[in-house]
Amino acid sequence: MRKVYRNIAIVTAVFMLALTLMLGVSFYQMQQVSPLQSEVLQTLKELNEANGDNEGLQQQIRQLDLLSRKAYFVKESQLKLGIYILLGMAIVLVICLNMYYKETKTLPDRQLDPIDDWMNKSRSRKYITWASCISAAAVLVVLLLQNVKFGSVIEQVEESAEEMLADNDTEGAPVKSVASDSVTEEVVADTTATDAEEDDLPVPKVTSNAFRGNNSSGISSARGIATNWNLKSKKNILWQSSIPKHGYNSPVISGRNVFITGADNSARELYCYDVYTGELKWTVKADKIPGSPSSMPKVNADTGLAASTVATNGKQVCAIFATGDVICADMDGKRLWAKNLGVPDNHYGYASSLLMYGNELIIQYENNSNGKVLALNAANGNQIWSKTSNDKIAWSSPIIANFGGKPALVVMGNPAITAYNPSNGAELWRVECMSGEVGSSPAASNGLVFGASEYAKCIAINGATGETVWEASDYLPECSSLCATSNLVFCATSYGMVCAYDAKTGEVKKEHDLSTPFYSSPMVVEGKVYLFSNSGKVYIFSASDFSLINSFETGEKTFATPAFTDGMMVVRTDKSLYCVKG
Amino acid sequence: MRRYILLFVSAIYGLAGYGEARFPKPDFTSGYQYPEIFHGVPMENLWNIVDIVLLVAMMSVVVWAAYKKRSRAVIYSTSIVSVLYFGFFRSGCVCSVGSIQNVILAMADSSYNLPWYVALLFIVPIIFAVLFGRVFCSGVCPLGALQELVNVRNFRLSRAVSLTLSIIPWIYLAFTILYAATRSQFLICRLDPFVGIFRMGGDLGMIVFGVLLLVLSVFVGRPFCQFLCPYGAILSVFSSLSWKKIDITGKTCINCALCGKACPVDAIRAPQSSKMKEARSTGVRRILLFAVLMPLFTVTGAFLVGQNSDALSRAHKSVYLYEMIQEKAANPEMEEPLEVETFNAMGGNIEELKAEVDVIRKNYSFYSYLAGALIGFVIAFKLVKLSLKRSRRTYDVDSARCTMCGKCFNYCPQNLKKK
Repeated sequence: MRKVYRNIAIVTAVFMLALTLMLGVSFYQMQQVSPLQSEVLQTLKELNEANGDNEGLQQQIRQLDLLSRKAYFVKESQLKLGIYILLGMAIVLVICLNMYYKETKTLPDRQLDPIDDWMNKSRSRKYITWASCISAAAVLVVLLLQNVKFGSVIEQVEESAEEMLADNDTEGAPVKSVASDSVTEEVVADTTATDAEEDDLPVPKVTSNAFRGNNSSGISSARGIATNWNLKSKKNILWQSSIPKHGYNSPVISGRNVFITGADNSARELYCYDVYTGELKWTVKADKIPGSPSSMPKVNADTGLAASTVATNGKQVCAIFATGDVICADMDGKRLWAKNLGVPDNHYGYASSLLMYGNELIIQYENNSNGKVLALNAANGNQIWSKTSNDKIAWSSPIIANFGGKPALVVMGNPAITAYNPSNGAELWRVECMSGEVGSSPAASNGLVFGASEYAKCIAINGATGETVWEASDYLPECSSLCATSNLVFCATSYGMVCAYDAKTGEVKKEHDLSTPFYSSPMVVEGKVYLFSNSGKVYIFSASDFSLINSFETGEKTFATPAFTDGMMVVRTDKSLYCVKG
Repeated sequence: MRRYILLFVSAIYGLAGYGEARFPKPDFTSGYQYPEIFHGVPMENLWNIVDIVLLVAMMSVVVWAAYKKRSRAVIYSTSIVSVLYFGFFRSGCVCSVGSIQNVILAMADSSYNLPWYVALLFIVPIIFAVLFGRVFCSGVCPLGALQELVNVRNFRLSRAVSLTLSIIPWIYLAFTILYAATRSQFLICRLDPFVGIFRMGGDLGMIVFGVLLLVLSVFVGRPFCQFLCPYGAILSVFSSLSWKKIDITGKTCINCALCGKACPVDAIRAPQSSKMKEARSTGVRRILLFAVLMPLFTVTGAFLVGQNSDALSRAHKSVYLYEMIQEKAANPEMEEPLEVETFNAMGGNIEELKAEVDVIRKNYSFYSYLAGALIGFVIAFKLVKLSLKRSRRTYDVDSARCTMCGKCFNYCPQNLKKK
């Protein structure tokens, strides 16, 4: 009888293997098939759409559709039946095997050894100890590798900075401080160049691609930002470097590169600094550009010739100056193209910052007549689209917002806030709500666009429909831009008042009389709002309730908005560029 | 008569329901006005009550079979019922093994309401374990029962290796705690090897894993119970302290060793005298050493796992999404992942996401240290336990490991003689 069970078991096992194979193939075929997307059916449907009312063809489509569905479900039920058969066979196999081995109860083949169990325990102890040590070592190695790769960046930077200090033989100062004379600059550039080549510092992941961060949103995803630093004692200061030429534009960070511009009557320049060392890596001059004016346009001292912040997409970095000169360079400082858009007729001086949308360089070209918004190909400078505007001149900068999954280019001017499709420049909506001299830039959050300007109003607009949600006029900014979270909209004025509006209602949730003017814009980072007064005093608020967390003087006038990356903040002051480490 | 009318009406309604599902609406319009369809609320509560009643009843039957009758046949029968009812009919969910996660989540998050029947599914087998040992594992747990039913041969690993591998369920439990407490995922459900078989469908990888484990179960006794089950690990603690201990023979053991050979989970300990080739003081010193090292093991475990909390937190969907968004922002030229596209399309707010991620990472940090400490402690405790010497004159049952399958009853000549 045992032989019978054995033979049944063998036959069942063979059938099971064959059936499993067949079911596997059938399952794979079913996964690949989409019954209603057969080529024939699609072709017939296309024919139907082209021919219109062909009843016969429609009948044919319906029948084919029904057949396809039937075929699919028949196959599915066959697959299910196959699984049931397989289960049945498995039961038969197990029963047969059990019956076959039923008569095989045997006595143990080993003699009892009184120390067997103790030996087992001893071996097990050894195995556990070794396995634990190897696992712990493996985890430690992983941790160390992670630290080498991603962590302790600041410590490494500190070390390299100290090495540089030793090389320069600078007395007293814990980090290098670059004096403004060109001789010292050259020395520092030489020594740091060697260090930069030799170091193995990671490329920071968090970028700040434009004025007020990526998309000009006023929000940064950077972490580990310091809430206290001192320029004199160099506490939490990674480096401080001088800037060859003056400008009010803000720093922009992409990878290890920090970009700013500077200009005077002799030259207009784009600078690239190393974010870890503060070394000036390269300079690109905006010269020899056809159409560029030989003498500089008249600009206000508060604006200057380089008020516009640069923009980058990680491949190209572009800059614009008050002359209307636009230059674009690659990450290694090679000038790719340059063009003059025409000298802007701008009584204070051109100030709108650039913005990148993918490969598009977006320029809010503000002019006393025929201002325009245009998109150029960042790689070659060719125009992609352009929209002429009859609005009055403004000094605001564009932003990219996202409404229901659709990106929108939001431009604020006088008298309107306008949303465009950034891909083709098509106008999405336009709300006329501004007046006076509009220098502040809009903000967006949670489907709403916020705009405000002194002597006008603060307004919230539904980004999807262009409808006004609320208006307020409690506190209004002159130069500083708004920034917003889902709950609050932060506003800093030039008369010393700062406040947080409720993002949903426009009600003032909290206000502070700080009695100091603000041109720099607030930035939301790590649940905090960082804000610099013109005098260089730093205010750090909680982004959830706008309560003041910390405030201190830096001692250097600051008009630009800082840029943030992993554990670092780069600030441009009236005199210098410095980096705060977290 | 009333009863028959009620049955008839129920059958008609049942058929109507079947018909509605069998013939869905066609894919074209014909002007026909469809009547409004009402869906009755299923009597889920009733099935939960049935689950609990059956759970208690089956465990009581196993206790009676193991302690009173010493009969494998009854236990084997409960295994069949368990596989059919808890496995195929109830689709293997919610089970006591998975209920660990609900209990952990309820302890970690006060906003989560633990369903009463899930609480009972968790606690009832523990109560039985405290009283009688791992009764639940015997023929009531559908996962164990399925392995039991297909088991034919009993090829065993070396006892030293199986003792070592018995730490794995604790590591599994530690990570189950971590992922459940942080609301990341229910690891046990995700890695349940047999749920795909019970439901005859599901994730292909898990079905393949389940089938392979089942094939292994034909030759090795209950591999899942021995080397993976986290609930088994919990029950083993209570079972080792149980009020009643299983007795294979009910008479004098004649040291025939048949029970030891029959046991699929290596839970029968052979007789052993104190003929150790080691001085007593050496053994005592070893125990003391491991006992003293216990806090060090615990702290080391906590440190090693805790330091990896950021990497572990990627198992949480929000952290994963946030990191993808960061990566996309850092590399604008990379193709936008579907998750990021969906986030943007839904009008997601990155700042809110970041705030959420910060909280999740903080939670992960705490529970990673906790999970690591548990692993370290278990290893140290195991080492202490393995350093203890016990003398035995006859074969006896290791209550912590015994899954009460009853195989030994059928092998024991003393037990069979009595019958």
